[in-house]
Amino acid sequence: MNDEIQNYLRKTSLFSGLSDEMLEALAKGTATRKLAPGDILMKKGDLADSLFIINEGWVKIVTVDSKGDELIINKCGPGEVIGEMALLDSGPRSASVVALENSEALELKNDVFQDVLDNHPEISLAIIRSYSNRLRFSTTYIERAIDWSQKIAEGDYSFIDQTQQLSKNTETDDDKATQLLSAFFTMVRKVKEREDGLKQQLEQLTFEIDQARRKQEFEEITSTEFYSKLKEQARTLRQKRTQE
Amino acid sequence: MNKGKIVSIHSFRGGTGKSNTTANLAAQVALAGKRVGVVDTDIQSPGIHVLFGLDENKMGKTINDFLHGKATIREIGFPIGENTGGAEGRAKLAGKNLWLFPSSIRGREISQILREGVDFNRLNEGLQTTISEFDLDYLFIDTHPGLNEETLLSIATSDILIIILRPDNQDLQGTSVTIDIARSLDVPNLMLMVNKALPKYDFAQIKSDIELKFNATVSGVLPLTFDLADNASNDLFSLRYPDHDWSKALRGVADAILAVK
Repeated sequence: MNDEIQNYLRKTSLFSGLSDEMLEALAKGTATRKLAPGDILMKKGDLADSLFIINEGWVKIVTVDSKGDELIINKCGPGEVIGEMALLDSGPRSASVVALENSEALELKNDVFQDVLDNHPEISLAIIRSYSNRLRFSTTYIERAIDWSQKIAEGDYSFIDQTQQLSKNTETDDDKATQLLSAFFTMVRKVKEREDGLKQQLEQLTFEIDQARRKQEFEEITSTEFYSKLKEQARTLRQKRTQE
Repeated sequence: MNKGKIVSIHSFRGGTGKSNTTANLAAQVALAGKRVGVVDTDIQSPGIHVLFGLDENKMGKTINDFLHGKATIREIGFPIGENTGGAEGRAKLAGKNLWLFPSSIRGREISQILREGVDFNRLNEGLQTTISEFDLDYLFIDTHPGLNEETLLSIATSDILIIILRPDNQDLQGTSVTIDIARSLDVPNLMLMVNKALPKYDFAQIKSDIELKFNATVSGVLPLTFDLADNASNDLFSLRYPDHDWSKALRGVADAILAVK
């Protein structure tokens, strides 16, 4: 059981850089909570003071929409972690979590976490390292996204094929930066498809000239005495110019 | 005699962007290091002089004064390269050899000129004097739309005639007559420029169809752009936004002018 909890914890971005020993200490601090269908694990707006790992059963993460109706954001099952940031910032919960069936959740309380930190201060450093890595990863992709956006503005889509590999290689598949990348590439592909479609749909113009009218207007202008004189003078001038 | 070429810019109907095109072409040719003059045929309406950052009051004597013997051509040429002002695009013309020659064409003055018989030879002499006095490589004339006598004079004296048209049948109809006239008057170099083409159309098709219809070169197909309308009377667009599609196509036309032997 303890190994299983350690594995769940390791998968979270918060604890991904911790050693087995540290994870064991944290896993020991968890307490089991049993839930019946409809039981509320946490309420939106409550002070967040613990992390949960779903051990058994399924829960729904809900909020309310603008009309006040329940809106299910997500469903979580065995092994999934909810509210990991609460251990660091203790802000209000951003959504409510309600059991869908008989479930069991493991709770790591903020104060237990603090006790573990006191005994293993090196955990702080490991957490900072793992966050620093994530931040570097995100920053790199933000910079690339800026570069790509400029390319898109110029109509250059050549980067899509080269960079698809990068996003597949990332290890933290739950990372928000990866989600953003995926959404970004979907957007670029759709924009490109639309643009290609538009290029193919370039409309053709057809031109018509009324030749009778053309002839008539030409004759109206050229039949004057002014024009005959001008034509003669222009001819003389052109001859003079070519001779020079 | 003179090595300088007279380049007339014409369109059969108004609204083709003729003044804007003339100012930008002249500026591009000056930027390429040539000595360039621009005859502004109508300082009463907002046109070329506004694009070069001048107002009517700043300009003293006009071509008309010269034609009537009341001023020398030296007094009329306004050096743009020494008066670029604050605008970002125009600033690139600093030190370039570009002069504006305003001419005043009020209705009364036109009839006076015609009554007094400012004829082809006098006009041509005036233009040739302008070219030789300023040692110009190119003298651009922004002609009036339509085919009145004054415009016919300009066409007759041109070494290069550029006809601007929008890609629609009305402009094509008028252009067909202008082309016939230009050929009848032995204009040695004739080229067409299509302006205000909607981006949804196939520009290559517009070019090839019109070239086929008239057996004449289309030197550029320029897009309709709101960016240009936004900027229209304030600055020289192709200098300020050199990477814009409109500016790129315009430079193609300027290159065609420079390529004429």
